[in-house]
Amino acid sequence: MDWDKFREMFLGCELVGNKILIKSKLHDVIKFVMENYPYDILKEIIALHNPDGRIELIYNLYSTVDEETLLISILLDGDEAESVTDIFDSAIADENEIFDLFGVKFIGNENLKRLYMPEDWQGFPLRKDYVQDDTRLAWNDDKNNV
Amino acid sequence: MMTKTTFKLNLGPQHPSTHGVLRLLLELDGEKIVSCEPDVGYLHRGMEKMAEKMSYIQYLPTVDRIDYLAGFFYSELLCRIVENALEVELSDKVRAIRVMLLELNRISSHLLWVGAFLMDLGAVSPFFYAFREREMILRYFEKISGQRMMYNYFVFGGVRHDIGFLEDVEEIISVLPEKINDYEKIITENPIFIRRTVNKGVLSKEMALNNGITGVNLRASGVDFDLRFGDYLYQGFDVRTIVLEAKDSFARYKARILEMRESLKIVAQALEYLKKSGPLEQKLINPLNLKLPEGDYFADIEAPRGVASCFVRSYGEKNPYRLKWRTGSYYSVNLLRKLLVGEYLNDAIAIAGSLDIILPEVDK
Repeated sequence: MDWDKFREMFLGCELVGNKILIKSKLHDVIKFVMENYPYDILKEIIALHNPDGRIELIYNLYSTVDEETLLISILLDGDEAESVTDIFDSAIADENEIFDLFGVKFIGNENLKRLYMPEDWQGFPLRKDYVQDDTRLAWNDDKNNV
Repeated sequence: MMTKTTFKLNLGPQHPSTHGVLRLLLELDGEKIVSCEPDVGYLHRGMEKMAEKMSYIQYLPTVDRIDYLAGFFYSELLCRIVENALEVELSDKVRAIRVMLLELNRISSHLLWVGAFLMDLGAVSPFFYAFREREMILRYFEKISGQRMMYNYFVFGGVRHDIGFLEDVEEIISVLPEKINDYEKIITENPIFIRRTVNKGVLSKEMALNNGITGVNLRASGVDFDLRFGDYLYQGFDVRTIVLEAKDSFARYKARILEMRESLKIVAQALEYLKKSGPLEQKLINPLNLKLPEGDYFADIEAPRGVASCFVRSYGEKNPYRLKWRTGSYYSVNLLRKLLVGEYLNDAIAIAGSLDIILPEVDK
């Protein structure tokens, strides 16, 4: 892809290997890539809770035509991110999963709800600061009785 | 005054045609579906959370359970992550063993699908025929790994022990083509089957790509995309892809039948090689104190239900910092939101069945 043009449009982004690190404008970047390059599948969105406490999202775009992968990575400042469901329908599934397990709120996605965890579950299990101290869990009985 | 004419219907999670525990919340206008909301998570086992607390060798036996109908594929993915990270090359014999088992596993998975799909449509007998042939494959898996479904046979750097009982595979590849002909005779030209599948659940190319659909479902919508081509495991094997243009439920059925025939040819090639090959040579990775170098690792494979992939971030410790699975079925379930709208309720089951959804893979 034309990297210079891309860098001009979105200031502050870096290219590391085949991964583009961006700071903001997630939605615009994905839309730009979709419209100008032959990437046609959003394979997955990977969320990570980094050791510094920030949540990182990696968008794995794939082209079925020339079989190439492009990774777009963003570090979130809080727990809010822009939704890309208007570009990819598959993002509904990914964003819902990330909301359930990491507590990231995707602005623009109205389908966010608890997916794997029960609806009244507290906390987000894949965060590194998650503590299993829910009083309803059997193995927390000792704690509850104190 | 307008009155509301739609009502909600709860399909599943104990409905026999939902293949496990899929719950669909349907909004109906008469018998027509207005909206569909899939509800998953009844089978969630926390595979990703579990990985963060386990070493790689502890985690390896559990990954078969992500998709119990295609366990080899998920073992292969985790092995591949470790092998790629430590830059271990597989010998030709190990590759041939893995390809043969993966393809047999693909056939057994498709066979179960054929039976279950026909059962959804009300035909009971194909289920038993398909299970009869699937049993041959499972018996073989049991002989080599000791397990019918959760094999734990692939290990980091190779396989657990040398392959044997090749005459069983020979029997499978001599018997199955005829049996598949029999299925085609009783299914493909069956007028009831045709009326329930042709032009039902039409999935356009754009819609499939936009929804992240991969695998057979994508190829039945006219996209020539198969990860097996670039796969180093399949190098030297003659792989042919089935691409159909019809885009409906019938095309998805036909594509799976044709894919089974192609898989049998790959099995035959691998068998040919294994019969001539010498003793097993492999460089196994010592699983004790196995630590992956710092970095991000990706691996993907063409599983029976679409592209499955694994992501690992390691900070050089014994356990992964984060491990993520991508499974094909998860996106197929999400597709139902769009695909079922405008269809009739009795077609909903046929369409959902044709996508080959398996719930443990969805819930992880």
